[in-house]
Amino acid sequence: MSLRKASLHKPSYILKAKDLRNNEGQWAAYNSTGHCVLLAGPGSGKTKTLTIKMARMLTEDVKVPRGIACITYNNQCARELKRRLKTLGVDDGNRASIGTLHGFCLKHIVLPYAQLAKLPKTYPISIASTVETNSIQKEALGKTIGIENRWDIRFDAYRRTILDRESGEWRTKDEDAAKVIEAYEGILDEKGLIDFDGMVLIGLHLVKKHEWVRKSLTARFPILVVDEYQDLGHPLDQLVQCLCFQGGMRLLAVGDPDQSIYGFTGAEPALLRKLSARGDVEPVELKLNYRCGKKIIQASKAALAESRDFESGHEDAGIVYFKECSGGLVDQVKYVCDTIVPEALLRRKGRGLGDVAILYLDKNDGNIIAEAVSQKDWQFVRIDGNNPYQPSPVTYWLEDCAAWCAGAWKDGNVRLSELISRWLAFNERLDSSLQHRHARTQLVSFLFKHRTPDMKLCDWLSKLLKHGLQETIDSEPRLRDDKDKVENLLKVSSANGKLDTITVAFFGGQGGSPDHLTLTTLHSAKGLEYDVVIIVGLEQGRIPWNNDSEDTLREKRRLFYVGLTRARHEVHLLYSGWCKNQYGRRFNNGRSQFVDEVEKSLIDE
Amino acid sequence: MRISRIQISNFRNFNAVDIKLGENAVIVGENKIGKSNILYALRLILDPSLPDSDRKLRDEDFWDGLTRPLGEEDLIRISVDLADFEDNENQLAVLAEHLIEPEPMISRLTYEWRPLPGLEGDPKKDSDYEFVIYGGDRTENFVSYQVRQRLPMDLFPAMRDCEGDLMRWTRSPLRPLLDQVAGEVEAETLEKLADKVNVSTAELTEIKEVKAVADAIEKKLVDMMGKGQSLQTALRFTPTEADKLIRALRVYIDNGKRGINDASLGSANLLYFALKALEYEQMVADGDRDHTFWAIEEPEAHLHPILQRLIFRNYLRPRGFGQRKTIKTSSTVLMTTHSPHIASVTPLNDIVLLKQNKNGSATEAVSTAGISLDTNDLADLERYLDVNRGEVLFAKGVILVEGDAERFLLPVLAKNNGYDLDELGIAVCSISGTNFYPYLTLLGPNGLDLPFTALTDFDPRKPKDGKDRDPLGPNRVVNEMVRALIETSTWDDNEFEDLLNMAPELGVFMNSHTFEIDLFITGLSSQFLEAMETTSSNGKAKERIKELAKTPDLLQQPFEESTQRFLKDIDDVGKGRFAQRLASILEVAGEKNCPEYILKGVKYVAEKSQLA
Repeated sequence: MSLRKASLHKPSYILKAKDLRNNEGQWAAYNSTGHCVLLAGPGSGKTKTLTIKMARMLTEDVKVPRGIACITYNNQCARELKRRLKTLGVDDGNRASIGTLHGFCLKHIVLPYAQLAKLPKTYPISIASTVETNSIQKEALGKTIGIENRWDIRFDAYRRTILDRESGEWRTKDEDAAKVIEAYEGILDEKGLIDFDGMVLIGLHLVKKHEWVRKSLTARFPILVVDEYQDLGHPLDQLVQCLCFQGGMRLLAVGDPDQSIYGFTGAEPALLRKLSARGDVEPVELKLNYRCGKKIIQASKAALAESRDFESGHEDAGIVYFKECSGGLVDQVKYVCDTIVPEALLRRKGRGLGDVAILYLDKNDGNIIAEAVSQKDWQFVRIDGNNPYQPSPVTYWLEDCAAWCAGAWKDGNVRLSELISRWLAFNERLDSSLQHRHARTQLVSFLFKHRTPDMKLCDWLSKLLKHGLQETIDSEPRLRDDKDKVENLLKVSSANGKLDTITVAFFGGQGGSPDHLTLTTLHSAKGLEYDVVIIVGLEQGRIPWNNDSEDTLREKRRLFYVGLTRARHEVHLLYSGWCKNQYGRRFNNGRSQFVDEVEKSLIDE
Repeated sequence: MRISRIQISNFRNFNAVDIKLGENAVIVGENKIGKSNILYALRLILDPSLPDSDRKLRDEDFWDGLTRPLGEEDLIRISVDLADFEDNENQLAVLAEHLIEPEPMISRLTYEWRPLPGLEGDPKKDSDYEFVIYGGDRTENFVSYQVRQRLPMDLFPAMRDCEGDLMRWTRSPLRPLLDQVAGEVEAETLEKLADKVNVSTAELTEIKEVKAVADAIEKKLVDMMGKGQSLQTALRFTPTEADKLIRALRVYIDNGKRGINDASLGSANLLYFALKALEYEQMVADGDRDHTFWAIEEPEAHLHPILQRLIFRNYLRPRGFGQRKTIKTSSTVLMTTHSPHIASVTPLNDIVLLKQNKNGSATEAVSTAGISLDTNDLADLERYLDVNRGEVLFAKGVILVEGDAERFLLPVLAKNNGYDLDELGIAVCSISGTNFYPYLTLLGPNGLDLPFTALTDFDPRKPKDGKDRDPLGPNRVVNEMVRALIETSTWDDNEFEDLLNMAPELGVFMNSHTFEIDLFITGLSSQFLEAMETTSSNGKAKERIKELAKTPDLLQQPFEESTQRFLKDIDDVGKGRFAQRLASILEVAGEKNCPEYILKGVKYVAEKSQLA
C-alpha cells in the first residue's frame, strides 16, 4: 500500500495528448520546453495542439499565482480558445489571459502603467469610437495634405510598420503619411483619447522603455502564447522581441506564413519565418493536413506556387470543379444557387446549408450574392464589410444572448454563466460585489423573460437596452466603439432597416449554426472550414490584378490558397472570363491565372 | 515583502493617520487607544478568513468626530502600501497590477466603505453603503479574493486558546506539519515500524497485571450492559496502522516527560507560536501562499518577562543593534502589546506609537520608520530602549537629563514644587552623557512627537594657554539639540544667538554652571552638608562644604580652587550615591528651593503632557 498522494483525477488534457503522439510535429510541440514556433498549415490540428499544450503549461509549468498571456488575432479566436481550454478540464480562471493584441496592451500595460510612466495622456483613458476616429482623421487631413484627400489605409499600415519615429525612414519614406499620422495622433492626444493602434503603440513603447514594465509582465505571465503570428505585424513582433528575448518570457508562437493575407495592414510573413530561424527557438512544422481531400491539397500547392511538402492526413480524394458562366457574377451566382448548392446537399448524406460556404472577393460581390440567396429563402450568415451590422465584442455577446433565448437555454450550447461573466467584464465601472449582484440579477431576469425565438430582434434589443445595456454602453469609456455598433444594429433591425424582419432566433444563429449558409470574403474565411467551398468571381484582373507587384502577387496567391484550403471535400471555382472595372468598362482578360495553374496541376497528375 | 505605509481615515478612533513602517510593526499605546482597530483595518483588506459580511461596516464604525447624520462625502478609507516584493516573482505577479510607484516598486491596496453610487441624497442607513477593495489607486481596478489568498493575514486574537488548539487534533498547528511528512516517508519504513509497535504493545498488554486491568474493565462493561453491547475495549498506545503512525505523534515538553496539558499557559503559547511559524513557512515553501501577515494581539499573555524579552528579541531582531539590513523572511509580524519588555527589544524602525491627538478627538499614530539617523545613533537608541525597558514609549512626557544625579533628584525637586511626575506619567531618562541628538530626534516632531524637555549643563571651560574658551553648553544646545528639533532650512537660516534663544520654546533648558553647583547655590547648602556628612568618611571634605555653605557665591567662580574641590569631593562619594542621599533628605524636608531651569523644564513638559 502506498501512502503517496495518488492523483486519482487526471486532467483530461493528459488523455487528449495521446492523440498528438502519432503526429511528429504535434508531439514535439507538446513536449517543447523553451521558445517554440509552431508552423502549422491548414487543417493540421493547430488549434487542438495549441490548446492541449496550453492546458499542459497551465498545469505543469506555471503555478498559481502566475499565468499565461495568449494573444489572438481577434475576439472570436479568443472565445474559441477559451471554450476549448474549458473542455480540457483546465479552469482558465484568471490565469490564462486570452485576448487580442489591443486588449492585451490596454488591459495589462496601458491601464496599469501608462500613468505611472507619466505618459502625456489624460487619465482615465477613453477609447475613441469609430465616429470619433473618422472625424479626427478628417481634421488631421485638413491640417496637412488637405481635406479633399481621403484617409488612405496605407497611413495606418505606415503607422504600424515604421515604429521608430526618430528614424530618417519615418520622415522620408512617405512624407505625407508621416505628416498625417502625426497630426492625427496629436489631436487624439489633445482630446485625451486613444485609438486601437494607439493602445498597441503605447503598450510597445512602455515595454521597450521600462525594465520594470517588462519585469512586472514577466512575473504575471512567464509564458506568452501568440496565435496567428503572421497576421499581427511589426508591433507584435517587437513586443515579442522585448518580452521574450530581452525579458525572460517564454514564447510559444503559432502561425502559418502561407496564410499571411493582411499585407495591407502591415503584416509580413517574413517576420514569422525570421522568428522560427532564430537559434534560441525550436521550430516545429505541422505538415499533415487532416482537413482537405488529396486533390484539394494538390490544387492548393499549385495555387501557392512554392514548394511545400504537405501531405494529406486522411484517405478522402476530394474534388475540384471548374465552371464558366459567361454572364458575369450574376450568372455565376444563379448557377450556384440553382445547381451547385442543391446538388452538393444531395451528394452527401446529412450535409446541410451550414456545411457550405460561398467565398468572394469583396463586399460589393457580397451584395449581389446576398440578394440572390435571399430569393431562395435560405438562412445565411454574411461576413464582410457590407454586413448590415458590424461585429464587436458586445454584438458577439448579443448574438450569444439571442442564441440562449432562442433555445440554447435548453440544449446548453451557450452557457448562462459565460453570458453573465462577459456582461460583468463589460461593466468595468461596477466595482463592488453588490453592484455586480444587481447587474447579474437584471440580466438573468431579462433573459429568462425573453426566451422568445420568434420575437423581432428590434423589440428584443430595445428591451435589453432598457434593462441596463443602454446605461452600460453610455457610461463605459472602453465601449464607445461598441455603442456605435449596437445602436446601428438597432437601427438596421427597426422598421425599414436592412434587417427589419429578422427574429431573435435568426440573429442568434449568426454566431454559426448548422442551418445557415455562409457568405464570406476570402479574407474573412480564414480559420473556418466547410464540406463544400464555392469561390466565385475568379477573373484575371481581379485576382490577381494586372498591375500586381511581385510581393502583392504572392499575397494574392496566399489569399486564393486560404480559400481553397477551407474545403474538406469539394471546391467549386467559378468565372466568366471577363470583368468590369469601377467605371463599368469591360475587360476580357480570361479567367484567373490561378485557376489555369490549378487545373493544369490536376491534369498533369 | 513588508508593509511600508498604512493610511486610515474616518475609521473608529482614527480621523486621519498616515503611518510609515519598517520591517514589522509593534503597535504600542494605552488601553482603548485603538491598537486592535489598526489590525482590524488591515484585516478588511488582507484577511481571507474574514467573511464579506464582516467587511460591511456600520454607522458606529465611522469616526466619532464626523458630524451626524453622515453626508454623502463621508467615507471610510483604509490603504496599505506594500514594498520589497519585486525580487519575488510570485509576489510580483500578485501585486504588479496594483503599482503606485515603479522604481522601487510599491503597490497599494485600498478598502473603502462608501455611500452607494447613484444614491439620491445623503445615506440614511447602513444598507445605503457598500464596500470596495481596489488596487493601485484605480477605483475600477477590483482586488480579487486571490490577492488575500496569496498574501493572507492571519490573526491571533488576544483571547486565544492555545492549549485547547494544541490538544484538539483538528485544530492543532502540528497537524499540517505531520501530514506533510506523512506523505513523504516510504510506506515500507512505516510498515516495519508499525509492526514493532504492535509487537511491543502486545507484550505490554500481555503482562499479567496489565491484562487483569483490561479484563476488569471489559467485565464491568459487560455487567453493566450485557454481552451484546460490548465496547471491545483494549489497552494500547497508538493506532497501529502504518498510515496513522506519524499522525499519532504528539509534542511533549521537558525532555518528553510532560504533555501539553501539563504545560504552563506560557509554554503552550510559546509552542503554539513556534508551530504556527513553521506552518506558515511550510505553506510559502509549498506554494500555497506567497507571504504571511501575522497579526498577534498581546503576545505577552502568560509569558514571563524574561521569556518575552528573549523571544521577541530573537524573533523580531535577527540582526545587530541598529542594523537596517533586511533579512528576507516569508512573513511580516504585526503585533499589539502592552509589554514594555517586548517594546524595549523592538527594532526602533518597527515601533508604532498610538496616542490621543491634542484635543482628544482622535487617535494619532507616530512611527519611527521615517526618521533619519546614522547607524551608530540608531544602535545607541535601541540599546537605550532595551536597557530602560522602553520607558519613553509608555510615558506621557519625558524629561531628558545627562546623568544619574539628575535622574535621582529631579522627581523630588519636581514633587516638592507641586509636580508629581509619577502621577503625571512623566519619565526622567538619563542619556548618560551629552549626546542629545539621537534622543531628541526620536522624541521630537519628526519622530514620536512626545511632550518632552531636555535639561543640560552650561559647562564652562578653563582658559587654555592664556586664551578664553567657549563654554560647551551653548554649542551643544544649538548644534546637538535645537538642530534635532527644527527644519534644516530654519537652522541654516538663523544665527547662533537666535537659535540659542529659540531653545526654551522647544523645551531645551540650560543652567548657568553644572547641575550640582546650580543646586548648591539655589539655597540647598545645608542639605548638601547633611548629605556629605552621612555619605563621606572624609572629614576635610565635610569641612569644605561647611565653609562653602557660608559663602555659596564662591561657587560662581568656576575655575577657583574651591569650586573644583567641591566637585571633586562629590565625585569621590560618587555622584549617583550622593544624589540619592540628597534626594531622600530633600523629600523628607519638602524643600522647595530649586534651580530655575529645572522648574521651567518641568513646568514645560507637565503642561505639554496634560494637553496631549
